Amino acid sequence: MMMVLQPEGLGAGVGPFAVGGGGGEYMEQEEDWDRDLLLDPAWEKQQRKTFTAWCNSHLRKAGTQIENIEDDFRNGLKLMLLLEVISGERLPRPDKGKMRFHKIANVNKALDFIASKGVKLVSIGAEEIVDGNLKMTLGMIWTIILRFAIQDISVEETSAKEGLLLWCQRKTAPYRNVNVQNFHTSWKDGLALCALIHRHRPDLIDYAKLRKDDPIGNLNTAFEVAEKYLDIPKMLDAEDIVNTPKPDEKAVMTYVSCFYHAFAGAEQAETAANRICKVLAVNQENEKLMEEYEKLASELLEWIRRTVPWLENRVGEPSMSAMQRKLEDFRDYRRLHKPPRVQEKCQLEINFNTLQTKLRLSHRPAFMPSEGKLVSDIANAWRGLEQVEKGYEDWLLSEIRRLQRLQHLAEKFRQKASLHESWTRGKLDMLSQRDYESASLQEVRALLRRHEAFESDLAAHQDRVEHIAALAQELNELDYHEAASVNSRCQAICDQWDQLGTLTQKRRDALERMEKLLETIDQLQLEFARRAAPFNNWLDGAVEDLQDVWLVHSVEETQSLVTAHDQFKATLSEADRERGAILGIQSEIQKICQTYGLRPNITNPYINLTPQDINSKWDQVRKLVPSRDQTLQEELARQQVNERLRRQFAAQANAVGPWIQAKVEEVGRLAAGLIGSLEDQMAGLRQQEHNIINYKSNIDRLEGDHQLLQENLVFDNKHTVYSMEHIRVGWEQLLTSIARTINEVENQVLTRDAKGLSQEQLNEFRASFNHFDRKRNGRMEPDDFRACLISMGYDLVSVPQGEAEFARIMTMVDPNASGVVTFQAFIDFMTRETAETDTAEQVVASFKILAGDKNYITPEELRRELPAEQAEYCIRRMVAYKGSGAPVGALDYVAFSSALYGESDL
Amino acid sequence: MDSFKVVLEGPAPWGFRLQGGKDFNVPLSISRLTPGGKAAQAGVVVGDWVLSIDGENAGSLTHIEAQNKIRACGERLRLGLSRAQPAQSKPQKVGSGRAPGGGR
Repeated sequence: MMMVLQPEGLGAGVGPFAVGGGGGEYMEQEEDWDRDLLLDPAWEKQQRKTFTAWCNSHLRKAGTQIENIEDDFRNGLKLMLLLEVISGERLPRPDKGKMRFHKIANVNKALDFIASKGVKLVSIGAEEIVDGNLKMTLGMIWTIILRFAIQDISVEETSAKEGLLLWCQRKTAPYRNVNVQNFHTSWKDGLALCALIHRHRPDLIDYAKLRKDDPIGNLNTAFEVAEKYLDIPKMLDAEDIVNTPKPDEKAVMTYVSCFYHAFAGAEQAETAANRICKVLAVNQENEKLMEEYEKLASELLEWIRRTVPWLENRVGEPSMSAMQRKLEDFRDYRRLHKPPRVQEKCQLEINFNTLQTKLRLSHRPAFMPSEGKLVSDIANAWRGLEQVEKGYEDWLLSEIRRLQRLQHLAEKFRQKASLHESWTRGKLDMLSQRDYESASLQEVRALLRRHEAFESDLAAHQDRVEHIAALAQELNELDYHEAASVNSRCQAICDQWDQLGTLTQKRRDALERMEKLLETIDQLQLEFARRAAPFNNWLDGAVEDLQDVWLVHSVEETQSLVTAHDQFKATLSEADRERGAILGIQSEIQKICQTYGLRPNITNPYINLTPQDINSKWDQVRKLVPSRDQTLQEELARQQVNERLRRQFAAQANAVGPWIQAKVEEVGRLAAGLIGSLEDQMAGLRQQEHNIINYKSNIDRLEGDHQLLQENLVFDNKHTVYSMEHIRVGWEQLLTSIARTINEVENQVLTRDAKGLSQEQLNEFRASFNHFDRKRNGRMEPDDFRACLISMGYDLVSVPQGEAEFARIMTMVDPNASGVVTFQAFIDFMTRETAETDTAEQVVASFKILAGDKNYITPEELRRELPAEQAEYCIRRMVAYKGSGAPVGALDYVAFSSALYGESDL
Repeated sequence: MDSFKVVLEGPAPWGFRLQGGKDFNVPLSISRLTPGGKAAQAGVVVGDWVLSIDGENAGSLTHIEAQNKIRACGERLRLGLSRAQPAQSKPQKVGSGRAPGGGR
């Protein structure tokens, strides 16, 4: 009986009782089969052989055989037997009769059975079988083969024919020279079959020795090996297959299916054994894994148990370096020791998961680790470890930080304490000084300023002291190991600080008190200075004034000096009072100094004056007053004398002055010469001259008075407008005037005589002159003269000729450029103008006469005719005559003559 | 003062009257002209100062010396003259020497 073992657990794939689909295939095959049989009797032969062999291979198990396939199944008994054998099931009891209907009934039973197995039998009837229809019988046998040997084949979810084909392909795949594509031609060379056998039982065939060109040999080899070793009877004929172009598919399928069942079964047994081994192996493996897990878990837990206390240790080290080392150990732990354990834990988990998966996959119960080694236990333990670890790390860091901070604080404390101590060094001594006791106000103020600065400095340091104390406090709180020394130092600093504060305050008080005292003194000194200075000035002024030398010129002035002096004397008592007050201030200052034990002679910064100075000046003043009185009186007397002298002089001068004035006017009048002849003029003038000379004694007397005044240093005289100088000048002017006038008149006489002017002509000239002499001082100014000339007809208006002419004239009348035209010059000009051309010619004519009518003159002639002096003058001045016919030494008198007048016609 | 020269062709008379000289303390000048005379024709004018005679400076000559010099120029008389400014005695205005806007 062929049993198809199906492994459990395989899905509901294609099973032996596939519904529907299988049916469709059945139908097709039968139809093909119908057609095929009609076409190929070879097939019929093959099938007969093959099917017979196949049936026999099964019937053998029932102890029977068939010889003839169309006959031996006719009664249906062997058919039913066949079915029973191949299905493993009991069919209904066959009918024992020999009648036809018994046979039909039996065959029907067989057919029904076939049908009950899901096979649609179409066009196969029991009668045909009973009648021995070969075709029908073969078809029925094929249906049975198909259903019971092929239909149940399932290979990789492919079933029946395709399954079988697939199985053949899979099994022959390694064999290059085999290519199974179908169930006919692919098998012709026999290599496929050999390959199939070799695949499963390589010991049975030496496949390498097979040759493709020996199909019959190959086939027979296969048939024989199959029959001998695999219990598969020969069902095919080698020659049939080789000689038939396309072997019968069904026959081939039938034969090949036997191989399938042979090997697959063996395979399945092998697979089953393998599975059992695998399962057992899995079991073993699982057990090993479980053991491993347990072991690893124990180890890990043990390690954790060991490590945790180390991480829970919270005993600190005193020094930073020790703590650093601890930290390093921890780092090593984290970097070196823990990671492998992490790995282990990971591995443990993985192993656990793998194990569980494997168990689940193999439908084993899940792994339950032993107590305390559960995954959760491990996880918990691990978590605990990590927590403790974190805690430890945190603790390490905080400890280190604490130590660091302590170190830092300690250093800071030391530094700040040192700084503070150096700052305070010497300050206590400084504060205890008593340097203000002998200082001036300015110095005390400066000290106060400095003290202020110090106080603010002190205040600024308050923070620092507090900071130092805070540092000490913190060090204590943080449990610094040298806290004791820190505390003592801090205490020292604080005590000193208090002391500083006290002393500072004391010093401030002392300085302020001193300042006030000194200020008071200073104020007094200022007051002293304020009053003493002007008083001193007054004293100085008084001394100066009292010694003042005066220069007075009158009694009134002297009198006013006396009055001033009296006024001054009146102020003396008040001044004395002021003096007293000033000295009083000074004594008050002294009193304060004495009372408060200050330096007794503090110098007054505002004034260099001492009371001694004041007193001495005062004494001086007192002395000077009376002496001045005296001198003033003396002066007064003197002034009175002077006054007398003045009056004396004035009386005289007031007489002399007007007399002179009158005389000047008289002379002027005479000089104007409008009355009478020149001789009369002269007489008058001489008379005046006489008078004047006689008057001289008055002048002298006046001089005498004047001298007296001068001797007494009197330079002013309000009693007269005439000064001595005036009188003198007037006198001299008078004298000069009279002399000049006389001279002028004399000249006029000369001129008159020389020019032969009559008195009337002279008077005319005089009148003209006086008319243009606007100023009436006997002289004409250029403008006056110009007007005069113009009135006489001179054209002086046109410019520039007029100006040139006037200039020429001026040079003539005023050769010395005195700026005025005298009457004499005027007369000269007037007379000359009318006679000038003659004058030069007259002289020439005169010389000609002397020269005896020659154009030249000899020195001898000159000497002979002229006085010696004049002759020599001419000889010296004359130039040599340049004309012809003259002897040596002849002189040119013409040039000389014209040159005398400064004019030459050329 | 314009200075200019005249050249009079001789012979004498030249037609002018010479006035002045060092001995008279008056510069040499022309005091009269003969109308139509050689000097007048040459453009000489009454009042012209004589600066040079025949090229020589006339400022230091006495009247006689100047006279003789002129007489010595026979055929040709060269005179350096200057047109006169009006009256010497009038003070000359000192130009416009005042600085604008300044001066005390």
